[in-house]
Amino acid sequence: MSSNTTGYKLTKADFQQINRRNLLGFQAGWNYERMQHSGYLWIILPQLRKIYGDNTEALKTAARTQCAPFFNTSNFLNTIITGIDLALEETDGLDSLETVASLKTGLMGPLASIGDSIFGSLLPTIFGALAANMAMQGNPLGIFIWIAVNIVVDWFRCKQTYIAYDQGMKLVTTMSDQLNAITDAATVMGVFMVGALVSTNVGIVISAPIDLGGVTVDLQHIANVICPKLVPAALVGFVYWLLGKKGMTSTKAIFIVLILGIVLGALGWVAKG
Amino acid sequence: MIAWWQILLLTLYAGFQIMDELHWYSSAGSAVFSGFITGLVMGDMATGLFIGGSMQLTILGVGTFGGASRIDANSGTLIATAFAVSAGMDPEQALAALGVPVAAILVYTDILGRMANTFWGHACDADIEKMNWNAYNVHYLMGAVSWMLSRMVPVFLALAFGQPLVEAITTALNGDLAWLGTGLTVAGGMLPAVGFAILLRYLPVKKHVAYLILGFVIAALLGTAFTSIAGISGDVATVAGAAGAEIAGGDYNSLSMLTIALIGFALAYIYYQQHQAAPVAAVAAGAEGDDDDEL
Repeated sequence: MSSNTTGYKLTKADFQQINRRNLLGFQAGWNYERMQHSGYLWIILPQLRKIYGDNTEALKTAARTQCAPFFNTSNFLNTIITGIDLALEETDGLDSLETVASLKTGLMGPLASIGDSIFGSLLPTIFGALAANMAMQGNPLGIFIWIAVNIVVDWFRCKQTYIAYDQGMKLVTTMSDQLNAITDAATVMGVFMVGALVSTNVGIVISAPIDLGGVTVDLQHIANVICPKLVPAALVGFVYWLLGKKGMTSTKAIFIVLILGIVLGALGWVAKG
Repeated sequence: MIAWWQILLLTLYAGFQIMDELHWYSSAGSAVFSGFITGLVMGDMATGLFIGGSMQLTILGVGTFGGASRIDANSGTLIATAFAVSAGMDPEQALAALGVPVAAILVYTDILGRMANTFWGHACDADIEKMNWNAYNVHYLMGAVSWMLSRMVPVFLALAFGQPLVEAITTALNGDLAWLGTGLTVAGGMLPAVGFAILLRYLPVKKHVAYLILGFVIAALLGTAFTSIAGISGDVATVAGAAGAEIAGGDYNSLSMLTIALIGFALAYIYYQQHQAAPVAAVAAGAEGDDDDEL
């Protein structure tokens, strides 16, 4: 045990406090300069005060090392780093700070990409789209399904703090294999759902009046014979292509489609369907 | 008109939703929930659900694409729903004419809030040097105030002072500018395509293109079939009613997305099992090959 700690051992109440602070305010201090730097310290500050003793130089050094550098990771997985960090600081005190600093910089990138793809993208795709689809038919049930899923996710976010504290770095290596398989399977469902949603939620049909020497051609009918919902698929394909252009952002794409819709709709070439 | 208590509730929700999205993430900070709650407050849940749902689909993949600033879909939905109900605007027009522009403009108050927090970040640094932990807590939590104000102030201003403007727009769209109204309705129907395209850019489409086709075709065929059946059953009921006959038939609803999602889940599960099995089989084969050496 290092001489600069009080020898305090973290209890269940400590972890509950960390999880509470994490779920209620981890990103409150997010800013452009160093992003989650002050939040990382804020959720473990009470515990650091116990580990190093209040108003000691050691505490000041530890707090400074945690708060000063840039930090940004997935807000769904950040407590994995916190758990590993606390296990180290609790036993080695200030001597561990160098390891902790490299741990934070080393893990924040990989955890951000895992967390963003699963919790920031896949779950919102599958359950957000489900909720949205049901909502557009006037049914709020999908929203409550999504809330239920997120309660499970939040439970998991609390659980992982304990697991990370117990297992340390071992967790990161064992986790990555399992997660890869699950993420891959979840992408299958994500892609499938996008396909289904394109056909049900892009509501347009061709209404352009085409007159070939007295014979009117119903383009929408022709499209329907090829495949139902062909027009929505073509539109999504167009926007997909558009997004591959250099300098294109999602906001620009939204406005291009908005203007395109107004023009085509006003001309009467495309109608709501 | 929007009553004062409606403005108050919606402004409070605007502050709450950003904290939800940043922290506990219950999905109460999503566009579809924003539409739901605004619809309830305004007394027209269906309109809110429709606008919220459309907006949710429009921004499906936005959070992950390119890391650029993202439009504030929640506040956009809130404003669009509130005015769609109070000014009697068509929901699709409200989405395109109010929801998207408001969401895009509010990117700037979001940036303002994040910049203000840089100041509080430095205050926190100073508190550490003074070892003033109470001040650290206060300065840290001031960040939450910047976040909430970045949503609450614009939403309040729009709700409190936007009514005459929105009423003028609605009148124009139903009168001289009817062509624009038609265009906006079509644009509202097209917008979800952007969300899907963004997602496809992000997901490994090339690898999983078979599942994309499956999802599309299954939903397209079933969706068309269900709509047709519902149409026919309506006709049959009318004819039967006119003839005084009574017909026994099923209860025809539109296509249930939840069931489609179950097919997707089954496919994902099969995929998972196959890709779990592969390494195990390889190990088993390897073990057999090693048998001679072992014995």
